[in-house]
Amino acid sequence: MRLRNQSTREGLTGYLFILPQMLIFLIFLVYPIIEGIRLSLYQINYQNEKFVGLANYTTLFNDPVFFKALTNTVVFVVFIVILTVGFALFVASAVFDKNAKYVSFIRGTYYVPVMVSMVVMSMVWSFLLNPANGLISYFSQEMGLGTVNLLGKTQTVLPVIIFVTFATNVGQAIILYIAAMIGVPKDLFEAAEVDGASRWQVIRKILIPSVKSSTIYITIINIIAVLKIFVVIQLLTGGGPNNASVTLMYYLYNNAFKYNQLGVASAVGVIMFLITLLLSVPQLRSLIKEK
Amino acid sequence: MSHKTNNKKKMERFDVLSNAVVFIFAICSLFPLYWLFTSSLKNSSDVVKMPPDWWPRTITFDNYVDIFKSQPALRWAFNSLFVSGVSTILVIVVGAMAAYAFSKLKFKGRNLIFVIFISSLMIPKEIMIVPLFRITQEFGMVNSYNGMIWPNVATAFGVFLLKGFFDATPNALREASRIDGAGEWRTFLQIMLPIVKPGIGALFILNFVQVWNDYLWQLVIGQEKSMKTLMVGTATLMQDLNPNFAYKMAGATVAAIPMLLIFLLFQRYFTQGMTAGAVKE
Repeated sequence: MRLRNQSTREGLTGYLFILPQMLIFLIFLVYPIIEGIRLSLYQINYQNEKFVGLANYTTLFNDPVFFKALTNTVVFVVFIVILTVGFALFVASAVFDKNAKYVSFIRGTYYVPVMVSMVVMSMVWSFLLNPANGLISYFSQEMGLGTVNLLGKTQTVLPVIIFVTFATNVGQAIILYIAAMIGVPKDLFEAAEVDGASRWQVIRKILIPSVKSSTIYITIINIIAVLKIFVVIQLLTGGGPNNASVTLMYYLYNNAFKYNQLGVASAVGVIMFLITLLLSVPQLRSLIKEK
Repeated sequence: MSHKTNNKKKMERFDVLSNAVVFIFAICSLFPLYWLFTSSLKNSSDVVKMPPDWWPRTITFDNYVDIFKSQPALRWAFNSLFVSGVSTILVIVVGAMAAYAFSKLKFKGRNLIFVIFISSLMIPKEIMIVPLFRITQEFGMVNSYNGMIWPNVATAFGVFLLKGFFDATPNALREASRIDGAGEWRTFLQIMLPIVKPGIGALFILNFVQVWNDYLWQLVIGQEKSMKTLMVGTATLMQDLNPNFAYKMAGATVAAIPMLLIFLLFQRYFTQGMTAGAVKE
């Protein structure tokens, strides 16, 4: 009897300990999701709400700008994630077994742009890319190509955004990979070296497979980070030229806070929510399996 | 034997070559920041000069004086500091309590609730920005520190990171404290919290930086000029009528320096914290 009492008491204490987190979580995360789904079915004019069923979604699917935003976002996710994972693997596998000072120098150097934030890096790049007096334009003039306006052309704007985002954020993946690779047991490499394997073979056959779970983790956090790509678009292109670089998050923001189309913006949010949910299933499965 | 040495040589060449590439790219990735910093020290005509001065010919701090005179940059810096600091302390308090419960206390639905918390980590709060904005509006929290802070506390990041640290503490310690007659709350505060200090340090740094660099939510919620964070305020310089690039670069430098300092001082915690958050092999 006493024992049972004690365990119910512990149960109650448990709930009390998670209560503050739970409350904030319900108010500022769960409720907005439910409310977002509801709003996506309404037409909203300030205080007036009118139920319109799926009309907001129909509006979206008839808007070419929405499709542009969707395809751009997918293009960004695919290219930026592949570049990030590939380059971070390359850097980490080259340095992980070198001396600690050098490793920390490389790690720090690549991580500095992450630290100073996308806002600051976007501002620098907008200066570097400025057609009239940026360094990039200067180099192209020196090479006899005349001034270039990479952000003003529909063919070049996407690659430039991809490069800037990749170059700013790759440091995080590098830190994670280096840590994972340092953790791989040394005897695995030694055995391969005795067998006469080259470094390239060791990296490809032993190192990369050993950090597979880091690869999954890095891929997913980067997909989700790129999915909500916004700052670089707002500060470098404003979605232009002619909507060529508009993304889902930028489209959502404009609908909500410029055109006052809250219902449509909510519908975009719901679609993005479903995409993230789908993408996070493999990561969740591995987390739950681990338990 | 000769075959082996041969192989060893080839291996080293590949290794040296890739490290050279890594090193060169590392230096290149610092260049934009070098350019940012040196441009901020030039005057308005030198900064756009072609061919450019690779190092400012005359160094001027006028742009910095301008920033602090024409913009409430100090106020923005305070806002960022306050919002990031308070959000992070709240994340630590509610996160440590919940993580302790998930790790050490038994209650019905514990695993299910934990999984729900963790799944929420994958959902960026930005996609729910419309309903979130309307809710904070209902609470009268637009243009207020409350509105800038609370949505940042809804993250399960603290729970996720600290649970691993609590899991690693020996159960015997907690039981001993309980046998000594200490209540759950005192055990948590006096015995368990001090042990997970390294986790709290890592969480503090990582979360602080995350909130400091947060952009979209702060852009939406802090609409008055005096309620902007340093990031949002600095970004408005891009649309500023002042065409001087050196002035904009000075603003960006002001926004960059605090985080650079934090990183140089606490580099160790970053690696620790980030890897604690990553999936274990």
